[in-house]
Amino acid sequence: MPAPYTARCACGAVTATVTGEPLGIRLCWCRQCQQIAGGSASSNAVFEMSGIDLSGHLATHSFTAASGNTLTQYFCPGCGTPVYGQSSARPHLASLRLGFLDAGQGLRPDAVIWLEDAPEWANIDPALDQYQQQAPTLLPKV
Amino acid sequence: MPPPHTGHCFCGQVSYAIDAEPVASRVCWCRDCQYIASGSPTVNVLFPEAAVKWQGEIATIGKVADSGNRVERGFCPQCGSQLFSRTVEPAGASIRIRAGTLDDTELMAPQAAIWLDSAPNWAALDYSIPQHRQGLDSPLVGQER
Repeated sequence: MPAPYTARCACGAVTATVTGEPLGIRLCWCRQCQQIAGGSASSNAVFEMSGIDLSGHLATHSFTAASGNTLTQYFCPGCGTPVYGQSSARPHLASLRLGFLDAGQGLRPDAVIWLEDAPEWANIDPALDQYQQQAPTLLPKV
Repeated sequence: MPPPHTGHCFCGQVSYAIDAEPVASRVCWCRDCQYIASGSPTVNVLFPEAAVKWQGEIATIGKVADSGNRVERGFCPQCGSQLFSRTVEPAGASIRIRAGTLDDTELMAPQAAIWLDSAPNWAALDYSIPQHRQGLDSPLVGQER
């Protein structure tokens, strides 16, 4: 299903409409994502920020990653639903959480990153591209 | 390691100690959990609720789960880390601690997956453990899924 994509948090206070296609969709097993995301990898569709029309109040939490970049996690303060993450190195991109995006829109992961942090019991789809740490930077499709 | 088993949210504002061994561990693909877990399933390690001692401020949201049970889910209001789900009604259920907040995420590997009926078609399923369509008493999903 092509854009526009729609999204809402669990309580409905935050919604979004997204135009443009994702540059990539990745599962991230870094330790921080496991803490935020209930114990699994986070599931992220990377979109151009300019195509994301968000409404509703968002809470934020920022930290300095191993790369030295500042990562900011945005979530709904009412229900805690993770909404998106953003790196100071790439402020034109946002990693929208697949759980925030409405189901049934045909979005599916193409890669798994930060496998070196994954627990032994993590179940990884062998069909996906796999990276022990970060994957190459996503560039706009031409 | 013997108890207490400890954990904390990402920013450290909330921490806990659990003076008991886990009683079960399972993966949940219900749509509510996909919201919480950013599109993945939640991974939950179950403990007797009375054994968990919390520190810090916790935000909660109440909900009637797909099971029909009345549940309360907790998260850190500062960093958004998902912490637990507890059953308010009926009483007596184990509390589900989100595995990502445990200091030892290997404490207990998942023994079953539930609510596969809600899972996206890209979900990677581990058929070495039971994959239930809904709750633990529901039929299993076959590998032809």
